[in-house]
Amino acid sequence: MERLIRSHSETDTIRIARELAADLPRGGTVLLFGELGAGKTAFVRGLLAGAGGDADEVTSPTFTLIQQYAGRLPVTHVDLYRLSALEADDLGLDEIVAGGGIVAIEWADRLVRPMTGAVQVHIEDDGADTRSIRIERA
Amino acid sequence: MTTILGIETSCDETAAAVVSETGEPARPWRVRSNVIASQVDIHREWGGVVPELASRQHVRDICGVVERALREADAGWSDLDAIAVTQGPGLVGSLLVGVAFAKSAAAALDLPLVPVHHLAGHIESLVVDNGAQPLPAVVLVVSGGHTSLYYVPGEGDYRLAGRTRDDAAGEAFDKVAMLLGLEYPGGPVIDRTARGADDRAVPLPVARMTHADRNAGPALARPAGFPGTLGGRTEFSFSGLKTAVKRHVAARRAELGCEALPAGEVAGICASFQRVVVEALLDRTFEAARWFGAQSIGIAGGVSANSRLRADAASRSAAAGLPLLLPTLPLATDNAAMIAAAGLRNLRAGRTAPLDLNADPALPLE
Repeated sequence: MERLIRSHSETDTIRIARELAADLPRGGTVLLFGELGAGKTAFVRGLLAGAGGDADEVTSPTFTLIQQYAGRLPVTHVDLYRLSALEADDLGLDEIVAGGGIVAIEWADRLVRPMTGAVQVHIEDDGADTRSIRIERA
Repeated sequence: MTTILGIETSCDETAAAVVSETGEPARPWRVRSNVIASQVDIHREWGGVVPELASRQHVRDICGVVERALREADAGWSDLDAIAVTQGPGLVGSLLVGVAFAKSAAAALDLPLVPVHHLAGHIESLVVDNGAQPLPAVVLVVSGGHTSLYYVPGEGDYRLAGRTRDDAAGEAFDKVAMLLGLEYPGGPVIDRTARGADDRAVPLPVARMTHADRNAGPALARPAGFPGTLGGRTEFSFSGLKTAVKRHVAARRAELGCEALPAGEVAGICASFQRVVVEALLDRTFEAARWFGAQSIGIAGGVSANSRLRADAASRSAAAGLPLLLPTLPLATDNAAMIAAAGLRNLRAGRTAPLDLNADPALPLE
């Protein structure tokens, strides 16, 4: 299943993500693809809001690599930006996913092994505040 | 006088230091040794901080680093009165190495174990280098992973007054350097490249939240006891600035039809970016200082080494008549002397931990 949605602002992106989280009542893995500044962290902000957490808690995990937030469902926010494919494989993602909740992974193109059942979110920068968001679900 | 061993392994650096009390309230801590086994070379080769690699490196280095810290302090294990260690925040695998080492040492020597918050260490670095800070103070901790503003009403009392809502300032430096094809880490190379260049060469947006952003969600909750609210004004945002630089670079590459922009243009981008970041950091810090009636201002963390930030902070604090406290370079980046000193402060306040202490990657400071 694939959906293409146009976002016209960061607020729009957050709303789209909140709706996706509502469609994942038992959690799941969300792989995020998109260049620097595409709005991946903003998308995670929406996922946390949709999972019943405080969207304002979300900050970039580029340095910390992994952050966890509390909601009705726990949300784990992973950022592979600084890692190579092999190192990303070393992070213990299987254990994190097995832990439950929503697991959002930024820079998911760094992953070498496919994650079965994961939702893929591709965000493309169309200029200014406009983004094309493609959501693929198995 | 009480002597403490401090251990820091929250991220890249394996570090150990010996610090003693002086008995003088104006300059309470004396650094007897401060040893860092820098892992920068390894991480540059691998392109970042790798958790597994970092923790293996910490395991390899920690015994040697501690032994060296004791030797340089001309101290033995029997001279120690307590063991301090960074409990968090940081990478859990890295933190665990330091915490396990500190617990073992405390158990073997039957000494108090003192947990320290990494950012409390950075704030303490100001006291190590400058002596007691006039209070109340406002302290900005700014590094690769953190951009947080603290109100310090009393000794060892830290209240979060603002933080970044997206990227840390140091991270913005790293990512902009990457966009420009410069090396890692981005802070020093942008500082160097910007020197002498026109800091208004490129029109960049002010690094702050827009009106729409402010309405998107509630402002960061203020700690209890705050007089009123600062609204969203002390929050930082660097994500939009990063995107603006990306857009500018992409447009110029398309116009010139080449990947590498001319050196003069790169310098102008660096200078403009740096000016906007520094203005955003200092606007909020000085605004908070006025609002809290602060008697001094502190800037700690790795980004405090930025020459533009230092120069602008110095002139603004002179104009405001407020003393400015900055760490020396060895204490600006991650180190164990600041952890040892903060450990002495915790020890005085009776804040010690039992031997079942655990690392906490998301430890809050308050």
